[in-house]
This record gives sequence, C-alpha cells and structure tokens, in this order.
Amino acid sequence: MNKVRVKEFLGKLIFGGAALFCAASVIAIFAFLVFKGFPAFQKIGVWEFVFGDVWSPSRYDTYDAPLSGYYGIFTMIVGTIAATAGALLIGGILGYFTAVFLTFFCPKKLQGLFASVIHLLAGIPSVVYGFFGISFLLPLLSLVSPNNGSGLLAASLILGIMILPTVTALSQSALESVPQSYYDASSALGCSHAETVFRIMIPAARSGITASLILGVGRALGETMAIVMVAGNSPTYPKGLFHSFRVLTANIVMEMGYAGEVHEGALVATGVVLLFFVFLINLLFLLRSSKAIREKNKKTSVRKPIVRQALLPHTPTLGRLLSVLSAAFCSTILLLLLGFILFRGLPPLLSRRYLLFGKYEFGGAQITLLPSLIATLMAVLLSLGIAIPLGVMTAVFLHEYTKKNSLAVRLIRSAIDTLAGVPSIVYGLFGVVAFLPLFGGSSSVLAGSLTVSLMLLPTVVRTTEESLAAVPDGLREGSLALGAGKVRTILRLVLPSALSGIFSAVILSIGRVIGESAPFLWTMGSVMTAIPRSYLDSGTTLSVALYQLAGEGWHIEEAYATAVILILLVLSLNLSARAVIGHLKRKSTKGKEARSR
Amino acid sequence: MKAREIPHFGQSIRVRHADLWYGAFHALKDICIDLPSRTLTAFIGPSGCGKSTLLKCFNRMNDMVEKCRVSGEFLIDGVSIYGKIDVNALRKSVGMVFQKPNPFPMSIYDNIAYGPRTFGVRKRAELDAIVEDSLRRAAIWDEVADRLNRSALGLSGGQQQRICIARALAVKPSILLMDEPTAALDPISTEKIEELCLELRKTTTIVTVTHNLGQAARISDKTAFFLSGELVECGDTKQLFSAPRDERTRRYITGKFG
Repeated sequence: MNKVRVKEFLGKLIFGGAALFCAASVIAIFAFLVFKGFPAFQKIGVWEFVFGDVWSPSRYDTYDAPLSGYYGIFTMIVGTIAATAGALLIGGILGYFTAVFLTFFCPKKLQGLFASVIHLLAGIPSVVYGFFGISFLLPLLSLVSPNNGSGLLAASLILGIMILPTVTALSQSALESVPQSYYDASSALGCSHAETVFRIMIPAARSGITASLILGVGRALGETMAIVMVAGNSPTYPKGLFHSFRVLTANIVMEMGYAGEVHEGALVATGVVLLFFVFLINLLFLLRSSKAIREKNKKTSVRKPIVRQALLPHTPTLGRLLSVLSAAFCSTILLLLLGFILFRGLPPLLSRRYLLFGKYEFGGAQITLLPSLIATLMAVLLSLGIAIPLGVMTAVFLHEYTKKNSLAVRLIRSAIDTLAGVPSIVYGLFGVVAFLPLFGGSSSVLAGSLTVSLMLLPTVVRTTEESLAAVPDGLREGSLALGAGKVRTILRLVLPSALSGIFSAVILSIGRVIGESAPFLWTMGSVMTAIPRSYLDSGTTLSVALYQLAGEGWHIEEAYATAVILILLVLSLNLSARAVIGHLKRKSTKGKEARSR
Repeated sequence: MKAREIPHFGQSIRVRHADLWYGAFHALKDICIDLPSRTLTAFIGPSGCGKSTLLKCFNRMNDMVEKCRVSGEFLIDGVSIYGKIDVNALRKSVGMVFQKPNPFPMSIYDNIAYGPRTFGVRKRAELDAIVEDSLRRAAIWDEVADRLNRSALGLSGGQQQRICIARALAVKPSILLMDEPTAALDPISTEKIEELCLELRKTTTIVTVTHNLGQAARISDKTAFFLSGELVECGDTKQLFSAPRDERTRRYITGKFG
C-alpha cells in the first residue's frame, strides 16, 4: 500500500510544483520590470519621463553620469491613446454590427461560413496585417495623403481590423445568452424581428457588449508589429491623420536591440507604463463583466431610464442594414487580404524553388526561407514542450487538487490571469533583460523559446481548466468509489476525457508561436541566413523574417512569398484543429447517438 | 505480477452517535444504526433528509465535499473507518453504485477491468475471468458478451447501470452501497436491477437509498426512515410497513407528506 501513498504524494508534489512555478514566473516578470525600470524612473524623474515630450535617447548615458539624452514618452502615450481610440471606432463598431448580423440576421446556411471568416481574421499573424498595410493600404492612402500614407488613419484601420474578431466573438456570445423568452414576449406583442432585436435583445446584452469593446481596447493597446509597420514611428504627437507618430509598444520593439544602460531602463519603464494602461483596462473589464453577471443573477436589475435606450442611434431598419454591411465588409477584407497576398506571393513561391530549399548566398540576390522554417519548427517544439506539460499540470492542480476558494489558489489563479493580459512585447522585454544575460548576452533560439513559452502558459492553463471542468464529476466519483487513487483517476479517466481541450490548447499555442514576432525579435535574433545548428544559435521565425524582408524593401517578392507561407500555415492549422476537435467530440458522443438510434 | 496485499473490511456496519455538518448545516443528527451482515437495508425518506449523506459516510465519499465535518463512530466489523485506515482499501471493500449511471468513456471490458487493474491484476486470463464473472453476476453477460470491446456509452441507461454494478462487483466488495440506483431507469430495467439485488444479497451486505417505497417493501430485509437529518425508525421491512411505531413513519408511508 505504501507504493500507492508514494505515488499519490509524488503526484501532488509534481502538479503543485508546476502551479507554483507558474506563480513564481509571474512574480519574476514583474520583479524584473520593477528592478530594471525603477533606476530609470529615478534617474530621469517620473514626471519628466511620463509628461516630457522629447524622446532623444543617448546610448552612452549611464546611471553614474549626467544625462545627455532626453527621455520623455508623452508623445507616445498620446499616440497610443489616439491609435486605440481610432481602432475602437473602426473595429468596435464593425465588430458590434457583425456580431448582431451573425446572431440575428445571418441565414442559417451561411452561419458556418461567416464564423470561419471571423476565425481566420483572428488567426492571421499581426506581421501579415502589417505587411498588408505596407503593401496595399499605404499605397492606396498615399493617393490622398501628403506623405506615403502612414500615420494615424492607417494605424487605426489596421488595428481596427485586428480587434474586430475579438469584439465580434465576445459580443456574439453576450447576445446569444439573452434568454429566448424575451424574444418570444416581444414577438407576441407584434414587434417585428428587427424591432425586437434592437429594442429588446441588444439592450439586454449591453453589459456583455461593453465588456467585449473593453477587451478589444486591451488588444489594441498591446499590439506591436502591425502598428510599427504603418505608423511611421517618429516620436512626435499624431498631429493629423497622415502624420508619422509612435506608440509605446513600438518604442520598445524599435530600440531594444541597441539600447545603452539608461536607455534600456527607459524602455523597460515604457513597458511599465504600457502595463499600467493594460491593467487599467483589465480592471474595467473585470468590473464590467462582474456587473453583467450580477445583472443576470439579480432578477430585479434596475435598467437605465428607457429614454436613453430609445436614443440608441439607429432605427431597426437602419440597424439591420448596417449589420449586413459590416458582415459584408469583414468578408471583403478577408478576401482582399488573402487574394492580394496570394496573387502577389504565389508566383514567386512556385517559380523559385530556391526560396524554400535553396542555399543562402552572401551578397547574392538569392534568399531562402529554409533557415527560418527550421528555426520556427525548433521554436514551436521547444516552447510547446515547456508550456504544454507545465500548463496542463498547473491546470490539473488548480482544478483537481485544491479547494475552490482557498487563498493560495485564488492567488495563483489571479497571477495566471494577470499573465494573460500582458502584451507580447513585454514578454520580449523580459526575455531580453532576464534570459539573454544567462546565455552570454547574445540571442538564441533557446532564449526566444523560453520567452514565448512563458507567454503561452496562461492560455494553456485556461483552456485545459475549462476542459477539465467539462468532465462530469460522476466519472471521478465512480473511479474513487472503486478505490482508485487520485493520480490514477486523473491519468486514466480525467485527462483522457479532457483531451479535446488540451489538443485545442496545443493548436492555439502553435498558432501563436508561428504568428508572434514581437517577443522573438530581440530574444531569438535576426539571423535569417544560416540554419541554426543548435538551440544556442540565433535564428528568425517566419514572422520575424517577414518583418525584416518587408522593412528592408529589397526583397519584396520574397516577403510576399513568406506571407503566403504564413497564411497557409495558419489556414491549415485552423482546418486541422477543427477536424480533430470535431472528431474527438464525435468520438465522445458516439455512444449517445448510438443509443438514440 | 502478484496482486498487492490489501486490508479487507468486513460485512456488518455499526454507527454510533454520528453527526455530520456541511458548513453550518447540521445534516445528520445523532444517528445510531446497525446493519447486519448479508442483509439488504433500504433507506427511505423525503429529499434532503440525509439518507444519501449517511450512505456516503460508509465509503467516505463525503471526504471530497468541502467544509464537511463528521463525528461519532462508524465501525465495519468493529474497525473504525474514520480512524487510521487506507481510504482506497475501504472503498475497494465498500462498493458504490450511483443514481446516474456513470460508465467510464472506454470499452465495456475496460470498464469492468478498471478496478482489478487498479489493484494490480495484470494477467489477461485472470482479468477475462473477473470480467465474465462480474458481468454474469450483474445479469448483463448475455446482452454484452459479443461486444465487450465496444464503448460502454453506447448501451441503454438500464444496461449502463448494470455495467456500473458489474464494475463495482469486479473488486469483490463485501458491502455494496446503492444511491437511488433505479431513479433514472424505466420500469423494466428497474425490475432487472431489483432481481439482481435479491441475488446479490446472498453474498453481500447491501444498503440502498430509494424514493420508491414499493421497491423498499419488495426487496429489503430492513428499512430505515429518515426525516430532516434524524433516524426516525429502523426495523424489519414487513413490520415497518405494516405497523410503524412512529406516527411520522406512518404518515410518510401512507403518502401524507414528503
């Protein structure tokens, strides 16, 4: 019997250890940011740093000598707020109306199609959006603008399209959770479908819709690469729609590679300011969604005066029209983006075999993506190899071992939730200040993978926890009642039943590693010419390669080809995820179907 | 590999002055009851009266409930089960069948073999024998013999419940707890399970919770009536149904309240 005791103890130790590690890594991230940022705040002065509007760093500034550069980020704070507001205006409104269309006006046959449009829009990597911005949007805008088209308008458009899927998905679930009885009651009074939708259903889902907008703002704040590619990035105020400006995330990603002592501190401090905004938004989201939950539970919720609802700016007919137009716009954007990039990228990809399988020639015109492909694969393998086991074990500990409301668990869980809201560039920052010194100060595939595995953790933990919660308690009780221990119950019954959830965590993670570029840029390096021989070599993932190719401007056809590869990867991941998850679901419900037959 | 040595618990249950709290809620109040070896006892009473709660004390399934506190003596053949014992061994000796059939999402064979495998039985021939014997004792062998490798989820509710009974029998329990085993089943499946209980009683102590008074009268040797956490009356089934000693029992079995 002792053997079983030991096994149970070991199980608890390992699962608990994983959870503790997650919590510790959150603390480490914040400790590093404070530790590295604090001296800069002290040296520059908080007021001068936040409200100064000249940014002209000198890489020779040290903490011991007087400063020769200027470190004020107020222009970028204003830029960030302006770009976010613009994104909200475009993506928020479009996303909201698209959700209304999908929930209430979409013909049944087309629902699947539009759902995949939204899924795909969500899955396209941000560098591809940025590249689409450079290659399609900017030339178009330059027809009417005094400059090359970059600036607030382009940034808002691209960001807006990027937050649209988030807003749509969350608004849609808010709308779908409005009780059907409301609809029936309104119809029974003789109201038309559109009247019911706009006068009853949407006002009832208002809290949830607001929450979705807030989450969209959170995404826009943290977005880096796409906005870097279209904003122009000079550290000035956004004085017009077509005026080069810079956001906080861009500041970090553009200068991290060559920063001196104080300069690096100032960039970390920029990250701290960015986090401050993100947490402010998350707090708002929490308040708002807990309000939504309260309203749902409380039968006697007090609504705002009816007059204000009547002032909602649309009559039902107009609203319906707008919702159809929004959905059409989403589909057009997707088709345009896919069509444009495939049209430009497929021919070079197909006609030049050396692009995929060739050898790099220094100084020559030939470029091959083989090193990037291999580096991407290495990064996927290592970061998933770390994040998936760690995340799954943490989720098991949180869900299977702990009492739901104990203080330790609440702390670990809120630590993980906090991690989920941190923008990817901040992970990159952490990777540079924490991991690079470990490996002699130079970037490597290893450092990049470690950085990104931290970024993956919260998603893995959450997705796994959700699927564990969906496993019926009857199974656990049945197994325990037979005298099986906890470890056996978890390994033999609970985890196999939660497989589809874990699998979707894997797919989501692969997608993120392939799509993310900001956290890789300075941790993994920018060597796209040589195949990394080991994890200690530098390398570029495909996304970073696209960023570099697009930025150089020398190899524009190769850039298109890279974008095509990225899109095809995302598409095939999306399809395979659906196929496999569908298969697993069918497998687990097969019994039920057989019985009903 | 040889099956591990596992302490075995006996067949008779004795409870003395048992109290149980869920947080501040006093769910069982000073329960004293004796359940002799190889008898079938039915627990009856209105919903929330504590009968399932008491049942789950016998295999300590209440351990998993948050803020649940137990006091008093629970003895199986004189051994205190809330003392220093191996809970898993206890649950091997005291099997349980749940209200809702809960077959595992695996084949019928693997469902039955799950318990024996837990306790170290690995040989295919040995497992085959246990699986067939358990399925026969649960009176479902004839219905599933030709599809042991199919998923247990494909069976009907009544069949699933008998699979769960077979699964419990496969670890050779000396006591079998049944928590409203027929509540989710149709009359024909219910009849089959009742016949099965009468057969199993010859070798096993059975405690069953039921809302079906007819069922209690048909199959049980002893009946215990609970009301808001108290044991009102416990006696031979015939006596309790024909001449209840307590006025509250009489009112309940004649359908006056509950």
